[in-house]
Amino acid sequence: MSAGEARRDEPVANGIARLAEGLGREQVFAHEPRSVEGARLEATLRPASGEALAEALRVLGEEALPALVRGGGSRLACANAPCRARVLLETGALAFPPEIDAEEGVARVAAGSRLASLREALAGTGLELPLDPPGRDATLGGALAAAAVGPRFDQPRDAVLGLGVALASGERIRCGGRVVKNVTGYDLAKLFVGSFGTLGVIEWAWLRLRPAPEATRVCVAPLGLDAEHDAAALAAARRPSVRAAALVDAKLLAEAAPGEAPRWLVVELAGDAGAVAADAEALAHDHGALHAEASVLERVREAQGEGALRVRVAALPTRLPAAALLLREAGGELLAYPARGLLWARFPLEGPSDERGVDRALRAATAAAADASGARRIEEAPLPARAGREVFGGASSALALERAVKRQFDPAGLLNPGRFVGGL
Amino acid sequence: MSGLLAALREIVGADGLLARPEDLLVYEADGLTMHGALPSAVVLPRDKMEVARAVRACRAHGVPFVPRGAGTGLSGGAIALDSGVVIECSRMNRILRIDPENRVAVVEPGVVNAELSKAVARHGLFYAPDPSSQMACTLGGNVAENSGGPHTLKYGTTTQHVLALELVLPDGELVRVGAASGFPAGYDLVGAVVGGEGTLGIVTEITLRLSAMPERAETLLGIFPDVVSACRAVGAIIQSGLVPAALEIVDQRTIAAVEASVYAAGLPTDAGAVLLVELDGPAVALGRQVERVRTLALEAGAREVAVARDAAERARFWRARKGAFGAMGRLAPDLYVHDAVVPRNKLPEILERVCEIGDRHRLRLSNVFHAGDGNLHPNISFDRRDADELRRVIEAGEEILRVCVEAGGVISGEHGIGTEKRAYLPLVFSDADLGAMCRLRAAFDPDGVCNPGKIFPTTRFCMEANPKARGYGRVEFT
Repeated sequence: MSAGEARRDEPVANGIARLAEGLGREQVFAHEPRSVEGARLEATLRPASGEALAEALRVLGEEALPALVRGGGSRLACANAPCRARVLLETGALAFPPEIDAEEGVARVAAGSRLASLREALAGTGLELPLDPPGRDATLGGALAAAAVGPRFDQPRDAVLGLGVALASGERIRCGGRVVKNVTGYDLAKLFVGSFGTLGVIEWAWLRLRPAPEATRVCVAPLGLDAEHDAAALAAARRPSVRAAALVDAKLLAEAAPGEAPRWLVVELAGDAGAVAADAEALAHDHGALHAEASVLERVREAQGEGALRVRVAALPTRLPAAALLLREAGGELLAYPARGLLWARFPLEGPSDERGVDRALRAATAAAADASGARRIEEAPLPARAGREVFGGASSALALERAVKRQFDPAGLLNPGRFVGGL
Repeated sequence: MSGLLAALREIVGADGLLARPEDLLVYEADGLTMHGALPSAVVLPRDKMEVARAVRACRAHGVPFVPRGAGTGLSGGAIALDSGVVIECSRMNRILRIDPENRVAVVEPGVVNAELSKAVARHGLFYAPDPSSQMACTLGGNVAENSGGPHTLKYGTTTQHVLALELVLPDGELVRVGAASGFPAGYDLVGAVVGGEGTLGIVTEITLRLSAMPERAETLLGIFPDVVSACRAVGAIIQSGLVPAALEIVDQRTIAAVEASVYAAGLPTDAGAVLLVELDGPAVALGRQVERVRTLALEAGAREVAVARDAAERARFWRARKGAFGAMGRLAPDLYVHDAVVPRNKLPEILERVCEIGDRHRLRLSNVFHAGDGNLHPNISFDRRDADELRRVIEAGEEILRVCVEAGGVISGEHGIGTEKRAYLPLVFSDADLGAMCRLRAAFDPDGVCNPGKIFPTTRFCMEANPKARGYGRVEFT
């Protein structure tokens, strides 16, 4: 008998047995206690329908079993730990083929849909998905719950027209709708997007798609976040057909760097073919930009992934360079989206329990954020580096109000307990 | 009440308090003149501390309160039910900060919408949401209603332009939500408050995103034999992948009214509909886009497509659209501007039904609408003193909403629910959906004292358990 089994909790086991009975063994897998994100999980639930999801939540509520909710798992390491959950609730099986209304430019998509397959489904419709969060396995539900942003497009909130959500009470609700303009009642969808699954579990969404651009082109210019280039980089990133602009240290760009410059601005132009050509020419003329492979942008953002501690500073665009200076001095390797005011710094760690390395990096990030009147958060870190630290960077001034919202939607703390800002 | 009046006078001074019946009459209604209720007083605070103190005074006396901007709203959201106190923010009208490099402005809620664009124009910037009332409506009111306008097709509604808010909560506490960077930690409370119709608190400071002026704009006017072919053109333009800044349709009945008024724009009164298309962006892209739109419009059946040659002509084209509501004033004493949204490809069929409903109820109904968004505005001209006509107006309105909902649409695209449509919210949402909205309400306003009686359909919801003496002076509405 393993130690884990010896400590097995009777009420937890009973609750899981009830879930398995109600939902069937194909949707409920009991297992040996397993530690995920500091939570001691004894079962994995994979509801395959909204009804099953609601039933699972109802039973979890009755049995007082909190759940760690996850989609594709891409953003698991960017929330507070430890989590007090006892079961894992995966939304990956909440799937149906996307209902694409190409004429209207909208689609209803299941939370479990992988964004990669959704993009495939949209190929040839003349439309594109206005979401590009990091993570190849990202699902729609996870991407919306984590409000994960990529270099392209606005924030995920702007792509969502309506949501189907299962509340902690087991009620299934719908917010918003399928039309592109709507002020019918409160805009509740905003509340769930970016709430890290702490207010409800997203079942599906109506998304507003965008027309696919007529032309795209990627180019790189030797510009960086430093005194010499700040204004130039921002101006370049704001040209009308720029869809994505990422500033990156050359060492992160590795072999993709076309020359000797220490920093590069990678720009993706998209839209009207004439406007794209004109902007490419202007970038070449004004900033010495060179034509680059389309994949450079993807490589840039993947270069920051994996293993180390990554912090994010969000600030007004003109304040980013000050933050960049401090982070670079502390040894961070930088990636920034200058026009959007986002900056990431990657700090190598000497193993997952490198307390000193973590403290040093977070001190630098906190100082950088303060200097830029912005906010810092941990974007990714091994579990020990997050334990006991506020991943989201200090309590919001509206924490009491946020607690009141949490109490209203999840009074028993069933959904991702302890994962969000201020332990919400 | 006299205790409260004294307390309020203490806070805002004698010139900041209105309590005489003749002064209060002005506040009896907003832009929806069918619904009226007299407030017991109107407070005109000068700053956020006065707002907070006024709210606390109301709380101490157990009197509900209602935030109000310019009172141009069209859903009864700014009237004070239950003899509440109106807290009008029109004196808080300072633009506090403009940061052109970061394209951010910080304003007080009483700043008039159009004033902001005017103030930032010299930096090559503008504030995108442009409701028809933009010369009068305030940004605080825009936040409450999540206002739209003709240009939301490309630029989005108010919610996409609000970065942060400071508000006085219904318990009198001041709180800040959101972040100027656009990436706050925590729940998206800005997203919740925008469009909250003033039921979640009183906004005292707004941080807004500004947009870069496009290099160039082109305005086209297509003359169509009927509304159906104009709608077909809209569908073809959208499907071509173009994202015009605006796509507006004005129907024949409206053209006739406009041409008979001071807003006359020289439109052919025998046209079935006109389509106004605005394209903006880099100059290098526009020439080809204009040609594309012209071709698509002609293919859809336009008998003529004109491109504005200069600013004066552009203004003339827009006059037909922007003057429409004013022109209606000639037809009857009252105008009911309806608001609903349907999937765009349902527009031709829905418009036909809307006109049929109007005709069947013997009403003067015309249509001006944001076709690109599927956002209908059936306008009914009527005389509210004619009880029978008023009844028909309300019946027709309800029928229109049902038709739109059946088509997959919703009952408001930009005017809000207020008192106007609260009975119809269950057409769109289940009890559980509405219950979830009430959870949000309860987090902000557990006692239901901030703009009570709005949005939610019955007294069952949100602890509004006191239906007596609602002060529904003019119309019985449920």
